[in-house]
Amino acid sequence: MDEFLPHERAIPAMKARKAEPVEPRIVPIEASLSARSFEDLFLENWGPVYRLLVRMLGDPAEAEDLALETFFRFYRRPPQAGDGYNPGGWLYRVATNLGLHSIRSFKRRERYELAAGKAALESPPEDQPAAIFENEEDHRLARLALARLNPRRAELLVMRYSGMAYKDIAAALGLSPTSIGPLLLRAEREFAKVYRALEQEEA
Amino acid sequence: MNKHLTEGQLRAALDGELDGANMRHLESCSACRARQDLIRAESQQAARGLSFLASPAPRTAPAAKTALNRFHQRNPTQKEISMFRKIFASPLLRAGLAIVLALAVMLSFPQGRALADQILNLFRVQQVVVVPVDFTGMQQLTGNSTIGKQVSDLISDSVTMQQKPGDPVTATDAAQASQLAGFTVRVPPAMTPSRISVENGAAFTIKVDVAKAQALLNEAGRPDLVLPTSIDGSDVSVTIPASATVAFGTCPDPAAQDNPADLGTTAGRKYPDCIILAEIPTPTVSAPAGLDIAQLAQLGLEFSGMTSDQAAAFTQTVDWTSTLVIPLPKNAATYQQVMVDGVNGTLIQRPADDAPQYALLWVKNGIIYAISSLGTNSQQALDIANSLP
Repeated sequence: MDEFLPHERAIPAMKARKAEPVEPRIVPIEASLSARSFEDLFLENWGPVYRLLVRMLGDPAEAEDLALETFFRFYRRPPQAGDGYNPGGWLYRVATNLGLHSIRSFKRRERYELAAGKAALESPPEDQPAAIFENEEDHRLARLALARLNPRRAELLVMRYSGMAYKDIAAALGLSPTSIGPLLLRAEREFAKVYRALEQEEA
Repeated sequence: MNKHLTEGQLRAALDGELDGANMRHLESCSACRARQDLIRAESQQAARGLSFLASPAPRTAPAAKTALNRFHQRNPTQKEISMFRKIFASPLLRAGLAIVLALAVMLSFPQGRALADQILNLFRVQQVVVVPVDFTGMQQLTGNSTIGKQVSDLISDSVTMQQKPGDPVTATDAAQASQLAGFTVRVPPAMTPSRISVENGAAFTIKVDVAKAQALLNEAGRPDLVLPTSIDGSDVSVTIPASATVAFGTCPDPAAQDNPADLGTTAGRKYPDCIILAEIPTPTVSAPAGLDIAQLAQLGLEFSGMTSDQAAAFTQTVDWTSTLVIPLPKNAATYQQVMVDGVNGTLIQRPADDAPQYALLWVKNGIIYAISSLGTNSQQALDIANSLP
């Protein structure tokens, strides 16, 4: 009950959705905040954090709100400097969890799906409406599957499939890089199982 | 290397994340490559489903500088609300009431209750009192990393947990919740809860470290507030009993609150119909008889924005032995006394246009109750409270 961001803004039209370079990697930040201003950190990490969320949710307005919320949290309670200090990883992890939390909310999911469908219609990647709906249906099921997944595994999948390297995922999650492979495989298996079950439920 | 690769290593190799020696083994081992083909097929199922996570982002992404401006525009409200959140946090018990109680504990010892025993049980909540406080000064401290570290050090050095609260346990009904919580959990008979959960109690001891606390005050720009050296080394023990949370409508999962990303989430917009009824027996506080907590309370009130005279006047009006004191940010909330559940209660409302909220608090038979929700329909909370069996 601690939502204080303004109510929804109109979802901006997502036009001219041409390919642009995927920019999934966070900006590594080695120095502590005492040596770098919060604003520098914000400016460097805003893009990756926002883009992660907009891909996860398919809703630019919600993505922006959650991206701002991510930075609010950092601002209010920044991670303590020390061994393993990794503010970029912290931001990415918090953003991932905020996104997953939103996806898990049934009512929110309905809205994302509506927004994502609208966005797809406004900026079709191809001139095949059937293909658009098929893609959006796949995405909808994938989001549902993520929502049902073990949270840690969902977190790992989002980080990996949004393009993070193993060492960055390991740093963000406090794991050994060598543990990412086996954990990822387990997460993928669970995801595939849940996804298939959802397909059967909706068949 | 003759040892075959593990499934995890084979999976990592698909992402080019395998080290050189193991890659060489893979290149020369047909058995490992065959196994990797199977793993590749498995992974591709997930990869297809999750391909949207790597899709091009919309070109309408707000520029970083624009976003930073929005951050600054919203931030004052956020900081104000971070204080208010302590009252309205949801689930109240887990995220907010414990904090409120901890604050109250710090403000709620009797000054002159010196009994023969060195350790006394002093604190029993019988009523709730709201004190409006101007948190502007404290807000300016938000983001001060030096103070943040000092507070963190002070807490980690001073607080010893004897019993940590466990994860909330879901109960099937009020009877089971009562059994788990150790007190009678009241549920309005005409409503069906979406969840009833019980959280174990907690116990911790605070050892007062005057030097560190004073350094904190100094760093915060308030060297005029001088802590009495006589309190140095005093132990204050706090026991918070098990609590119950009864949720109505679609509410956040209490177990998710430990996740750093879930603390203070955007729940307000996600759970517009959520109503939380929290119930907790009064906490117990033990402290050395000579500890002058009223003096500390006055300092705390001054620190949070009251003038010395205001703090002294307020301190004298409160029966610290029985009152849960809730500091509310000025101009961010209104409050009024109401009759509820046969006793006097306090209705706190945040009349914001974008996210109005309310909380109703009262104490009856040694149990603290709080109903909180979004919106302005506080009558709903009164109806629920007055229908409790």
